[in-house]
Order: sequence, then C-alpha cells, then structure tokens
Amino acid sequence: MKQLLHAFIIFPLLVLASYGQELTGKDIIQKVNDTINVETSHGTAKMTIVTTSGSKRTFVQESWSKDKGEKNLVRYLEPQRVKDQAILMLNNADDIWMFFPRTQRVRKLATHAKKQKMQGSDFSYEDMGSGDAFIKDYVSKRLEDEENEGYDCFKLELTRKRESDMSYSRLIIWVIKANFVPVTIDYYDENDPSRKVKRLVQSDIQVVDGIPTAMKAVMFNLKDNTQTELEMLEVEFNIPLDDSLFTERALKK
Amino acid sequence: MKKRAIIFTRSVFILGVLGLMALSLMAQEKVELFGYYESQILGTQLKGDFYQLFTNKLRVDLKSELSENITFAANFDYINYLGKTEWNVLDFLSEELVSTVPEEMRPFYVIAFSNDTFLDNAYIKLSFKPFDLTVGKQQISLGTGYVWNPTDVFNIKDVLDPTYEQPGHTALRLDIPLGSLYTLTTLYSPEETWEKSTKLIQLKGNISHFDYYVIAVERIWPFHDYTEFDPANMNFLDVSEKRKMLGGSTVGELLGLGVWAEYAYNWMAKSDDFYELVVGADYTFDFQTYVTMEYYRNTLGKSDYKDYDINDWMRFLSAEQKAICRDQAYVFVQHPATDLLDVGLQTVYCFSDGSLALVPTLGYSLSDNVVIYAYLNFNLGKEGTVYGKNMGNGGLLRLRAYF
Repeated sequence: MKQLLHAFIIFPLLVLASYGQELTGKDIIQKVNDTINVETSHGTAKMTIVTTSGSKRTFVQESWSKDKGEKNLVRYLEPQRVKDQAILMLNNADDIWMFFPRTQRVRKLATHAKKQKMQGSDFSYEDMGSGDAFIKDYVSKRLEDEENEGYDCFKLELTRKRESDMSYSRLIIWVIKANFVPVTIDYYDENDPSRKVKRLVQSDIQVVDGIPTAMKAVMFNLKDNTQTELEMLEVEFNIPLDDSLFTERALKK
Repeated sequence: MKKRAIIFTRSVFILGVLGLMALSLMAQEKVELFGYYESQILGTQLKGDFYQLFTNKLRVDLKSELSENITFAANFDYINYLGKTEWNVLDFLSEELVSTVPEEMRPFYVIAFSNDTFLDNAYIKLSFKPFDLTVGKQQISLGTGYVWNPTDVFNIKDVLDPTYEQPGHTALRLDIPLGSLYTLTTLYSPEETWEKSTKLIQLKGNISHFDYYVIAVERIWPFHDYTEFDPANMNFLDVSEKRKMLGGSTVGELLGLGVWAEYAYNWMAKSDDFYELVVGADYTFDFQTYVTMEYYRNTLGKSDYKDYDINDWMRFLSAEQKAICRDQAYVFVQHPATDLLDVGLQTVYCFSDGSLALVPTLGYSLSDNVVIYAYLNFNLGKEGTVYGKNMGNGGLLRLRAYF
C-alpha cells in the first residue's frame, strides 16, 4: 500500500521533473501567459500604497477582463476622491480611454500613459499587465532553476525586444514549477540592464475556478523605497461577459 | 437685500427638495450621497496692494439606480465668497485703454462674486441597448483639446485650471451606438423658442488608434456690448446672436506621442465669421515626467495687442469668448516628486502680443480623501498684453475634502 502511494506521488513528480527539463524559456513564458491570461475574469481588489514616510493610501477597484486579457475595464470604488473613475484598455492596452466622472469627460490616452503610476502607486498601468506583453515585447531565456519564496521554480530572463517601448530593459522571473504562477519578478532599469528598480512578490496562491491565482501581490519600489500591496478581495474566472461591457458607453456608467 | 432674500428662499427650497428626495431614496436604500467641501484662497498683487478672495464651496451629490436601466443623479452647490468680491476690470488694463472709457461708465466694469446656491446638475438617464437618453441639467463635455475646445460651445475652461468641473446645462441628449465603432449624439438645449434653442448633432467614430468626431451646432451666443449701457436691464447691452458651428476633432497616437486636433468654423448672424483650431501632443517619459503642449488659434482674437479694446477684455474676462489674442501655446510639465506630491509648471505664451505667464503648480494628497492644490502665477508680458505685468501676480491655494 505504502509502495503504491509512493508510486502515485513519485511517478508524477519524476514525469514533471523530466518534462520541466525539456521546457525552453519560450515554452515556460507561454505557459505563464496562458495561466495569467484567463478567457474572462471579474474581481475586486484592494490596493494599499505605503510611502517612504509610512503613510498609507488605500484604493478599491473592480475589474473585468475578456479574451485572455486583450480587453480590460477597471473602475474605482474607493476612496470617494476617485470613485467611478474608470479605465478601458483594448487591444492589449494599445488603446486606452479614461473616464473622469467629475467632469463627465472621456479622454483617449496614448500608450505612453501606461508608464504612469496607477493612482500614485508603485504599479504602473504597464505593470498591471497588458495582455501578452511577456511574449510580444520580450525574448525569454531559461536560467538555472532556483527555489524562491519556498517554491521550486523555473528562473527566466526576459530581455526587451529592440522594437518594444516597454519601460524595463529586462525582467527576471521565478515561475512556480507546479502551476506556472510567476511568484517573483525583478524589473530592471529602462537604460541600465544591471540596475534593479522594482520587485514584485506574489503570495497566498489559491485555486479559484480551477485557475491558480495569487491573492496577494506586493510591488517593492527599490528606487523610491516605497511599496504597494494589491490584495484580491473577490475573483471569478471564465464567466460570461458581454462585449458591450468593454465600450466607451459602459465606461461612463 | 431683496436679492439676498430670494437667494436664501431659493436655497432653502432646493435644499428642501433635495433633502426630501434623498430621504425618500435613502429609505429605499438605493441612493448614494457624496460630494466634497472645498476651501480656497485666491490672491493677487495689483498696483502695490495684495488682494484676496476666499471661497468656500460645498457640493452635495445624489445618485440613485432607480432600476436596471434608469439612473437619477443630481448635485447641489453652495458657494460662499469673502474678501475682495468685486473686481473692476479696468484696474487690470493699460492706462491708455482706460482713458477711452467715459468716467461715468467706469464703476460698471465690475466682475462680482456673490454667495450662490444652485442646482448644478439634475438629470435622469435611461439606458437601453439601442440608446442612452439623458434628460435634465447635465454636464456637456465636447472636444478633444486639453485647455481649449473649439467645438465646445457650452463651456469655457480656465486656462490656469483646465480640469475644473464645468457647470450643468439643461438639455435632452440622445446617444445612439451604431455598431461597435460609431456613436450618433443629438442634443437639444431648450430656450423660450425653438429658434433660440441649441441644437447639436455629433458623430463619433474610430479608425485604427484614432477616435474622431464630426459636430454641427446651432446656438444663440450670449454676448454683450460693453461700450453701451442698457438702463432697462441695468446691464451692458445684450447683443446676443445666432452662431452656427461646424467642426471636427480627433485624438490618437502618432510615433509614440499622444496627439489631438480640434477645429471649428463659426458662421455668425451679425458679426464676422471666425474659426478656432487646436493641435496638441503629450508624452510620459520613463522617469515619470509628463509633458503636454497645445497650440490654439482663435480668429476672434486680435493679432496686435494694440487693437484689444474694452469689449475684447470684458468678453474675455467674463468668459463670453475664449481668447483675446489670436495665437497661443500652452505647455504643462508635471512630475511625481513623491507618491503623494506632484509638482509641475504651466506656461502660456501668446504669440500675438509676446506675453508669457508662468504658473508653478503643486498637488499633494493629505489623506485618502483630502487633497491640496496650489499654484503661483507670474505674468511677464508688457502692459496691455494678455499676460502682462499689470494683470497682477498671485496664486491660489485650494483644500478639498471628499466625502
């Protein structure tokens, strides 16, 4: 019985290990992309910014995404100062519109706006994920596997493609072997690939609707010595979402 | 005294109606009550003296989802002014121009700020799959420009504070989506007759990474002749006239820059036709600094500042027309100095008269719902120009708490 149990445990691990050996950087980042970009998703999240002086600012946002992150809508619920401000991102965030409820104005933003800090946080709009950026904008290379945050991980180096306008020259990503969730990402300076500027650490990984999901993420800004925590309050995947939700009309609602 | 009594009675009435409405809706647990309180000081150094205008503003918003397809929203503003609440425009103008104004007329060139209580917006929005219908007093935002909007015949933004909210206008607005790429908007803003009412039609479309708008408007433009006094109305002579406008605007991305343009041609019933044009661009650098710039031409403005007359100045300062000088440029550079502090510099330059205004700005988040906004303004042009030294140097400090 004990031997049978071992066989059940050890055999899949061996298969996984040998399978892991064969995967290239490109294969792994494709699997990461497939894991984080679910067909549709809806959730609410709390974002807490901790400044250098220790002050905190908290935001709650509701978001919807469709077509594996190609369409995104984010609406702020709290605090009152930004309540009902909303951002619509289409075509993997190549088209961005922002709605300001106080002036009832919708403004189309150019893609450079992705470099701006999200409500003063350590996340830029670009960091929040623009669909398939890991694949489209970077060339990936597999490094030697490492343990990170207590997980057995693949380690990847992503180097920005010449034609890309992403804000980071390279990324180092630790991907959990068991579920392809990127547990840690190091971001390097736009012009200096040796200078680390930010680190993202994801934790509290739960399986929601069959999808491994990091319920908490902390972005450490190493340049400014500040950090922003993002905590998922509710999340659901692969639910029916109408295309009409991802329009300028819906943005104003 | 009588006017104050009317304002007070009106305030009590509006408050009463909104209060009853809020109570009724809150009883149904469907109403949201929010808004902000704003305290502001505006100071100006003028001819050796420093003048201050204090403003306290309370804005109370109500919003209720009456059903899945029907929304009611309203806001009530109470604004209280203290300090120098009456400003004589002639104090800012060149002695040469002031000398052309008859002595007995001079006390009338006053812009006054008096306490006010009003229903700024109150509308019902019906949203169904084929259309959105918005009925009532509502904000109308037109055009893609940041500081100037040639196609917006309803509002004139403050050049030094272009993102401040605009007042509501009574209108019936119908938005009809035509497929996923187009939206047709029609708007009717009623006056005493059909002829005097504002009619608007706009088509919005999308090509590649560009949004574009084509718009036609007919509206009576409220204008005054500030050289003639109308004793019957105890005001300057009303010379309002019909304005027909055809325009277009676009916004998108070109070579990594955000770009926009807006154009409007205006056919006037009595006075000369004119056009307005805006082109602009913006960019965010990797080090987070944001830069926006805009060029504006308005042929209603004069190309030589020596031609600015008292009508030009009064219409400009009373927000009846958008510009007094023909060609202007605006540049705004902003950088997040910390997570909570944004610092910036606005620059406005008038090509027509060579005058320049420099406006350093600061925005600070005091807490989640309390923000401080401040700017200083330095007018560096020569006397008689739009941003001339005689317009005074000063600044603004605003504290706003949201609830």
